[in-house]
Amino acid sequence: MNATDTAALAHTALEQEIAQLVIDTLNLEDLDAADIPPAQPLFGEGLGLDSVDALELALALQKRYGIRVESDAKHARDHFATVANLAAYVASQQAACAS
Amino acid sequence: MNGAPAREPHWAAQKERGSFALMWLTALAVRRLGRRPLTPVLYLVVLYFFVFGRRARRNVRQYQSRLAAWSGRDELRPTTRRVFGQFMAFAESLLDRLDVWRGKLGMAQVQLHDPAGVRERLRASVHGGRGQILVCTHLGNLDVCRALAELEERVPLNVLVHNRHVAQFNRLQSAAGDRQLRLLQVSEMDAALMLDLSQRLDRGEWLAIAGDRVPLHDGRRVVVDFLGHAAAFPQGPWLMAGLLRCPVNLMCCLKIDGRYQIRLEPFLDTAEWERGGREATIARWAQRYADRLARLCLLAPQQWFNFYAYWQLADEGGSDADPRRAAR
Repeated sequence: MNATDTAALAHTALEQEIAQLVIDTLNLEDLDAADIPPAQPLFGEGLGLDSVDALELALALQKRYGIRVESDAKHARDHFATVANLAAYVASQQAACAS
Repeated sequence: MNGAPAREPHWAAQKERGSFALMWLTALAVRRLGRRPLTPVLYLVVLYFFVFGRRARRNVRQYQSRLAAWSGRDELRPTTRRVFGQFMAFAESLLDRLDVWRGKLGMAQVQLHDPAGVRERLRASVHGGRGQILVCTHLGNLDVCRALAELEERVPLNVLVHNRHVAQFNRLQSAAGDRQLRLLQVSEMDAALMLDLSQRLDRGEWLAIAGDRVPLHDGRRVVVDFLGHAAAFPQGPWLMAGLLRCPVNLMCCLKIDGRYQIRLEPFLDTAEWERGGREATIARWAQRYADRLARLCLLAPQQWFNFYAYWQLADEGGSDADPRRAAR
């Protein structure tokens, strides 16, 4: 099993945290962080979130991690596609802020 | 816009805004020369606008007849005199706006109707506490509220405007006073804006946003019944309240018997929606708002300053389910 396969199944600590944040922010009480695999699409087909959910999520992420989510629509769409992408985005933004 | 030919331009893009600009020029001249010598000039401009603004005239007539039918009050039915009266009321509101910015119209001349004590909460948030949302309307004279909030109450009030022209007009007019309004030009609700607004609320600032006009570039609208007919209202204020989880109050300023009356009332104590029930909740709030607005129209029937085709439903509805709009 290579690194990519592992990433698709298990959460990193940050992914776990973000999955929980998604659940708390959007009141998905019937779900558990483990129910949102890192690679599962959050929007449309996957978890079924919509643009207002995304806005709510972006607001929560910004507050929690002290980052700024830029409004570049094309990239935002990628960053918000999955929990894994969100974790990578948050990590990169935090690194950018720290430097 | 590429709508059907029969469609009228959106309010923000109407040609008749040119006539409004003419009124504004006059109003600014009033500022230099004083109100009295220029009042007849402004009336002439209004007369011109009335005679040649066929579309605006028709829209006012439609509003008046719907208000009359909905309320069952025959005396509100449109006549040429009553339609003209609505144009005159608008001209008067322009003059009053300048007065208030010049400090000639103060809190002492204004009657406050605030049975629930919203004003106390507004004042209290200056000394800590979270801000709230004020949903405003184009019924009556909004600027009197804004100006008094800024000048007399020293309340940090952020006014959200959708349109560049509105922003310019407002700047022009607040320049007539010695203070700048905090105007936030909002073209679309995005993550950065929401964070900014959220931080402002946390600092105790309040947000004022119009609840009765659908912005040009934001497709988030909800169709409600207003005065007995379907009209598109914006989702913006309600979405914002839900996302920012903050209480909503209504504010309007009506001129009744020659005297301004500011009305403040709580509207939503907690803006929350159930998972999966957001659309329905927003539609319910918007409908309740439209119902309240209709009642307020009866207090000052001629101060409805929406001169565009109010009941025209736009066909370009924005779908919230489109992930391409995600996080924008």
